[in-house]
Amino acid sequence: MLVVKDLTKSFSSASGNVTALDKVNLTVQTGEFASIIGKSGSGKSTLLSMLGALDIPTSGSIEVDGVDIAKLSAAKQTAYRAKKIGFVFQHYNLIPNLTALENVMLALEFGGMPSKKRKARATQLLTDVGLEADEQLRKPPRLSGGQQQRVSIARALANHPAIILADEPTGNLDSETGKKIFDLLHRLSRSEKTTILAVTHDMDIAGKTDRTFKLKDGKITV
Amino acid sequence: MNVVSRGIKNALRSPLRSGAIVLMLAVSIGLILSMLVARSGIDAQIKKDQAGTGITIRPAGIMDFSGGGTPLTSTQLATITKTDHIASTSATLSDQLGTTDTNLTSAIDFGSFGLRQQRFDSSSSTATSTSMTTPNTSPADSSTTRSARTPHITVSGTTDPNSISTDGSKLNITKGATIDGNSSDLIALVGSDLATKNSLSVGSTFTAYGSTITVKGIYNTGNKAQDSGIIMPLTTVQSLTSQTGSITSVNATVDSSSNVNSVVSALKTSLGSTADITSQAEQAATSVASLKSIASLALAGVIGATIAGAVIVLLAMIMVVRERRREIGVIKAIGGSSRKVIGQFVAEALTLTVIGSIIGLALGVAISGPMTTSLVSSSTSSSVTSTNGRPFGGPGGMFQGGFNQVNKNLTAVQSTLTPTIFVSAVGITLLIAIVGAAVPAWFISKIRPAEVLRTE
Ligand SMILES: Nc1ncnc2c1ncn2[C@@H]1O[C@H](COP(=O)(O)OP(=O)(O)OP(=O)(O)O)[C@@H](O)[C@H]1O
Ligand SMILES: [Mg+2]
Repeated sequence: MLVVKDLTKSFSSASGNVTALDKVNLTVQTGEFASIIGKSGSGKSTLLSMLGALDIPTSGSIEVDGVDIAKLSAAKQTAYRAKKIGFVFQHYNLIPNLTALENVMLALEFGGMPSKKRKARATQLLTDVGLEADEQLRKPPRLSGGQQQRVSIARALANHPAIILADEPTGNLDSETGKKIFDLLHRLSRSEKTTILAVTHDMDIAGKTDRTFKLKDGKITV
Repeated sequence: MNVVSRGIKNALRSPLRSGAIVLMLAVSIGLILSMLVARSGIDAQIKKDQAGTGITIRPAGIMDFSGGGTPLTSTQLATITKTDHIASTSATLSDQLGTTDTNLTSAIDFGSFGLRQQRFDSSSSTATSTSMTTPNTSPADSSTTRSARTPHITVSGTTDPNSISTDGSKLNITKGATIDGNSSDLIALVGSDLATKNSLSVGSTFTAYGSTITVKGIYNTGNKAQDSGIIMPLTTVQSLTSQTGSITSVNATVDSSSNVNSVVSALKTSLGSTADITSQAEQAATSVASLKSIASLALAGVIGATIAGAVIVLLAMIMVVRERRREIGVIKAIGGSSRKVIGQFVAEALTLTVIGSIIGLALGVAISGPMTTSLVSSSTSSSVTSTNGRPFGGPGGMFQGGFNQVNKNLTAVQSTLTPTIFVSAVGITLLIAIVGAAVPAWFISKIRPAEVLRTE
């Protein structure tokens, strides 16, 4: 279970303080598929980066299965990112000079899997997301956007994370491919009982999720 | 795949840039190695030069055939020989043969330098050629014969023909055999140039001072002035020139280099103002000084090349880190620790440095020899040629030898690559890699994982 209490994040920039998140409260059950919508600049990405321990909140708490991740040491946060969280990005963010297979194996390495077992597990994951054997050995620049996003989903799922955080995972794809990717995420959350929080601009997609949170100026409105 | 193999893989990611970096590194590492080699060679030579045990004693005021003064006497020679710590001595009486003294023709042309020196000859040459010849002193004669005159031929009467050789080593006899310096026979060793000019060979005879002298051997020193001279036993020259007991220079060898200074001061006391005393170590000081400046130049080269190498790696790694900011953010976001990312970049920097140093060390081994030589010769050639530029002059034993000594010392610098040098070069290379990777590592640790969510 994910419980966020009074989460506030402000950035100090040249033009003064920006409050990206303002006392956000939300709860997501384990295995739930939730979507986050909101205008550009409303704080969606900021919320995900707090949940994924990519940045430190200004105040408030984030409890994942009873542990406040904002209070963890740097090393524990790194381990949390490696084992409990899976990230899917709008721009895929695969390592360009590693093959699809090596990209997934990299996440397995950070998750602490012994090196001998990594290859089999990575191949399995890539097959599950629908990548052909020869595509698995290609480097990202030689894969289509949809294929790259599949690889990044495989990478996110690698260490059986408790939560998958997806920031506009379909934002760079045509609507048909986007639907397929979304279905894939949906299917996996069911079979693996993974909690998913996905940011999207597509109301169609948002409508299919278990719950939708709407952000406006750093506040939850629904 | 692990941190190290990813680092190596990344090093080869952009071959053109990596190639350029490796090349620049190779050049600076090659420079470091060859400068280290040059430095140690020079240091070794400095030690050797300072260990010279030779001392030259000559009459006060006489320098080859210029100046004036009274030759040393056999009594003074005995005093020198008896001085503590002097292991051996050899004595030389130098003289010159004018055209009327001999049937030989000099092997040297005056050239413009010689002609210029000749303008003093009518008055000054008689002072040094002591008992010699009158024709030159007549003003009328000198005015008519000036332009037709040829250079004098140098005669060295010595107790030890080897002392004539330029660097204290054995005289190089190319034909025949050496002569006994303690003999009083009418025998001579003839320099190769003079022999060629006058078609002399072993067994030939020539006339000098009105006597017939037999050639026993031909010598070659590689020095034109020396190779145009004649060497005879000391006693022979003393009697031929009616200068019994006279000596124009004494070469003494001290038993150990640490006693040279005390022997010099003892001789200064016993001989007083009648003699000028110079030690080999003193003469070597010129070459030692220039060697020292080359050594410090080489050290500056090592430091400069090290800094250059470190800066190359540093800038390259900073560039790479900036370029891969987002990728570093991704690695951190999916659970890679800063330590792992830094490890990966250090491996990358090390890969470039190792490839660069393999090429650089090979390059260094290849160029260290020529580099040492050119360092030594280019920075000393000006001073050496100016001192060596006298077209002729007597083989005044050690003094002439002194100038050649400078030359010899400089070219004798040996460039040898010892394991110690190699290890220090490798150590410096590692230092370069560490410095070159440390600053980027700091940058890496500062990159926030949240960076990855920013849309560019
Ligand atoms: N590192 C930062 N420094 C300063 N301000 C920031 C930083 N990150 C985010 N912000 C500000 O916080 C606010 C929320 O940004 P955020 O990226 O979360 O918006 P978003 O909802 O993801 O927008 P989009 O739909 O365009 O991605 C914005 O006003 C943004 O300018
Ligand atoms: Mg965003």
